[in-house]
Amino acid sequence: MTGRRVRVIEAGRISYREALEWQRALAQARIDGRLGEDLLLLLEHPPVVTLGRTARAAHLLHPEGVDVLEVERGGDVTFHGPGQLVGYPILDLRGYRQDLHWYLRTLEDALIAALAQLGIPAERNPGYTGVWTRGRKIASIGIHVKQWVTWHGFALNVTTDLTHFDRIVPCGIQGVEMTSVERERGKGKGETKLWDAAVAAVMLGFARAFDVEVTTSRTGVTEMRPTAAVS
Amino acid sequence: MATNVYMEALSPTMEEGRVAKWHKRDGDAVKTGETLAEVETDKAVMDLVARADGVLRQVAVAEGQTVPVGSVVAVIAAPGEPVGATAASAPPPAPVPSGSGKRETGNVATMTAPAPVVVAPLPATAPSDATRVKASPLARRMAKEAGVDLKLVTGSGPGGRVVKKDLERAPSTAPAPPFPISRFPLPERSAAPYDDVPLTQIRKTIAKRLATSLGPIPHFFLTTEVDMERASEARDALNKQLGDRGKVSFNDIVIKATALALGTHRACNAWFQEDHIRYWNEVHIGMAVAVEDGLITPVIRSADLKSLGEIGREAKDLAEKARNRRLQPNEYTGATFSVSNLGMFDIDQFTAVINPPEAGIIAVGSIVQKPVVLDGQVTARRRMRLTMSCDHRVIDGATGAAFLQTLKQMLENPLAMLL
Repeated sequence: MTGRRVRVIEAGRISYREALEWQRALAQARIDGRLGEDLLLLLEHPPVVTLGRTARAAHLLHPEGVDVLEVERGGDVTFHGPGQLVGYPILDLRGYRQDLHWYLRTLEDALIAALAQLGIPAERNPGYTGVWTRGRKIASIGIHVKQWVTWHGFALNVTTDLTHFDRIVPCGIQGVEMTSVERERGKGKGETKLWDAAVAAVMLGFARAFDVEVTTSRTGVTEMRPTAAVS
Repeated sequence: MATNVYMEALSPTMEEGRVAKWHKRDGDAVKTGETLAEVETDKAVMDLVARADGVLRQVAVAEGQTVPVGSVVAVIAAPGEPVGATAASAPPPAPVPSGSGKRETGNVATMTAPAPVVVAPLPATAPSDATRVKASPLARRMAKEAGVDLKLVTGSGPGGRVVKKDLERAPSTAPAPPFPISRFPLPERSAAPYDDVPLTQIRKTIAKRLATSLGPIPHFFLTTEVDMERASEARDALNKQLGDRGKVSFNDIVIKATALALGTHRACNAWFQEDHIRYWNEVHIGMAVAVEDGLITPVIRSADLKSLGEIGREAKDLAEKARNRRLQPNEYTGATFSVSNLGMFDIDQFTAVINPPEAGIIAVGSIVQKPVVLDGQVTARRRMRLTMSCDHRVIDGATGAAFLQTLKQMLENPLAMLL
């Protein structure tokens, strides 16, 4: 045991913009030393298409009716939406390794271990960051780091409506087929049960891959921020 | 004294990095810790951070350009400092051997120091693997005091020796003060327990006027719920017709209806004066507008005689002037009655404080869809709550209630207003 701990926060459904602000504030607090612990935010987003730093306009096919945002994470274009388990680790990598390639590979390990828990054989696809199963992509990764503190992270399709990925060329990989936990396991289990199982599996996978102890708490699930519209 | 900005390694094996985006431009002032640029490799982006305060100069790498790790990509100069050829005359950036474990702390090099770039090879593995840690006596003492495990600190001194500056930002095993992780709010907080802010002129006026209101004026409050279904339809139709000649808001509709209702309820359109009550024949509606450090109530004159379109344009214009502090005194004095709206903040219902010498004010809540019984059927309707504050010296309960009833009827049958 390394004695390292990561606090998992299940935050419910949060808009992409709001989650981004939250992450940035937490990361800056971690850098400044105001936040004294590493965190893993687990949440889901309302439908949104995001463009990473290397995104090309041509990879956006049908953005109609969905918010499109440009963000500071690495990677190309991706989709987030209900049923997708999004994980944003706020880690001070100086307590692990100051190596972003190690970090990307370890995130993949965490997701592969989580999927094994769910009975899905998963693997890396050399040359492409992310996690794949039977030739289909099931999880995407894109990260950002400042002074070795991380934000952004991974997105695992649990019960995601996969037709949304037709709007884009996911991660800029032509011809890629996206899949989800639900699709790989076949229907049958209740959606809520599958989601909870995925959350538990991701926490376990994360703990194993990063060799940390995880503790959990829920926050902000029902809080709402008023939308101040001044006439 | 200028400070070089180097291309950093995102991992020990990385030999070159691509500048994805500059956050600062040549000539921009920068502060320690601020992001200067983003460096990118496949799915990871790392911020290149300023290690000194000053002015960014000699940006030598364009966005999208790839350069070897350790290259000088820019210089941070002290303000006004000539940096003519500093970057060029500086010792060439030492090529960083792959796996040398070059770290962020090795990134800072003062221009005056000889051979400042730290290239001493370090194990590429995690520092915690080291069994014995080299550290300066000062660093050891600081680590002990702060409860820091020296094995977890990456040293930037010769041979990976841990020095003072490495500890100034070291991961501490001592408990940090609790940080509010909750989604909101995460305000930047100063260390002081409180801040004293002198009263601005507008705050002083608000304080004085409201104290002369809620204290001496015997307020009472009346609330009613208005069905806004038809008003919504009328507004949509009107806005369609107006096109780009302006927009009518619900607030404009409330202002117009209030003005019309006051026309038939003169008893509520009055000022309480020392020894008399002035019943107004003209109707001037004050509308509360939130401004940066307070609120102000610009006045729509003769609102009962103006069309909704006119009220809409005037309200928009006055609100804008109020926010830019451009209101002339004659634009915010002389109201005979006021309207205050917090609907945009999802407030269902509230009570407003009378603005003396006026005798009443209407507080407007948000429009909410809710189930109501209509002709024996439960249906969803858009509803809005109005609360009237009355000065009992001028308006009695029944007088206020009768006015409010007329106002409600007007809002529920908005066609009369449009004619």
